[in-house]
Amino acid sequence: MYGWIWRHLPGNAWVRALISLVLILAVVYVLFQYVFPWAEPLLPFNDVTVDNQ
Amino acid sequence: MAATADETEETTDASEPVPRPAPRRGPGRIALAVSVFGELLITAGVLLGLFVVYSLWWTNVIADRKADRQADKVREHWAEQQRTGPGALDTKDGIGFLHVPAMRNGEVLVEKGTGTDVLDDGVAGYYTDPVKATLPTTGKAGNFAVAAHRDGHGAKFHNIDKVRKGDPIVFETRDDWYVYKVYSVLPETSKYNVKVLSAVPRESGRKKPGHYITLTTCTPVYTSRYRYVVWGELVRVEKVDADRTLPRELR
Repeated sequence: MYGWIWRHLPGNAWVRALISLVLILAVVYVLFQYVFPWAEPLLPFNDVTVDNQ
Repeated sequence: MAATADETEETTDASEPVPRPAPRRGPGRIALAVSVFGELLITAGVLLGLFVVYSLWWTNVIADRKADRQADKVREHWAEQQRTGPGALDTKDGIGFLHVPAMRNGEVLVEKGTGTDVLDDGVAGYYTDPVKATLPTTGKAGNFAVAAHRDGHGAKFHNIDKVRKGDPIVFETRDDWYVYKVYSVLPETSKYNVKVLSAVPRESGRKKPGHYITLTTCTPVYTSRYRYVVWGELVRVEKVDADRTLPRELR
């Protein structure tokens, strides 16, 4: 999977490493900005109130 | 020059006789499936790790930033009203600040409501549902019940377990310091136990109407299986002076 991505990136090893880094940062950004905020309320880790639901 | 692994695609020329039908390079099907499965597992592990980083660190960064901005706004409003003379109290950005020296977390802005949209901004919220909190500013007997996050989103009540009986809780508004004293702690209760928010919280041992404050958050840390509850009772109300001199509990 990751090997396949690596082989399909253009350029030499340095360019590929740089592109990989950018890709990783992009993925982390999307996770922190959109995916985790969406997932968090669905997980039972941080409910602090008492209620009768 | 012998073809290296990287150049195989260029060297397979139709005109050149190939000694054998080009053997499939790399691992076989099963090995490939195993390696993809392994990479998926690693990915899942990294994802979970990132989620922990997100919930325990990043949400704090975001929430503290927002809370600071809102707190500044509230303080600005107050200062402005002091110059222009007392007017209607603007409570849109928050009604005041909670100081709990035992928690060592400075001041916590208090806003209306306990929904995630409020609490995720790194503030404490007073209950409007299922039980309406009685604000101390009304002067009526009742229970001023607030909630805040234990972890993540500012983690304003993270150190609630450091609060002992007799510790002060001070609620600061524009005009008054409301000094409460902790008289009861319930380290673990069901999340459905809404009776802890009652105007007279019987579980705390009080039977008569009075001016109470209730802090709720989740416990144990990093989960929200149970709720942690701290009760305090109003000791006195101090007028805020021109310099906003802190009451002696906070000095």
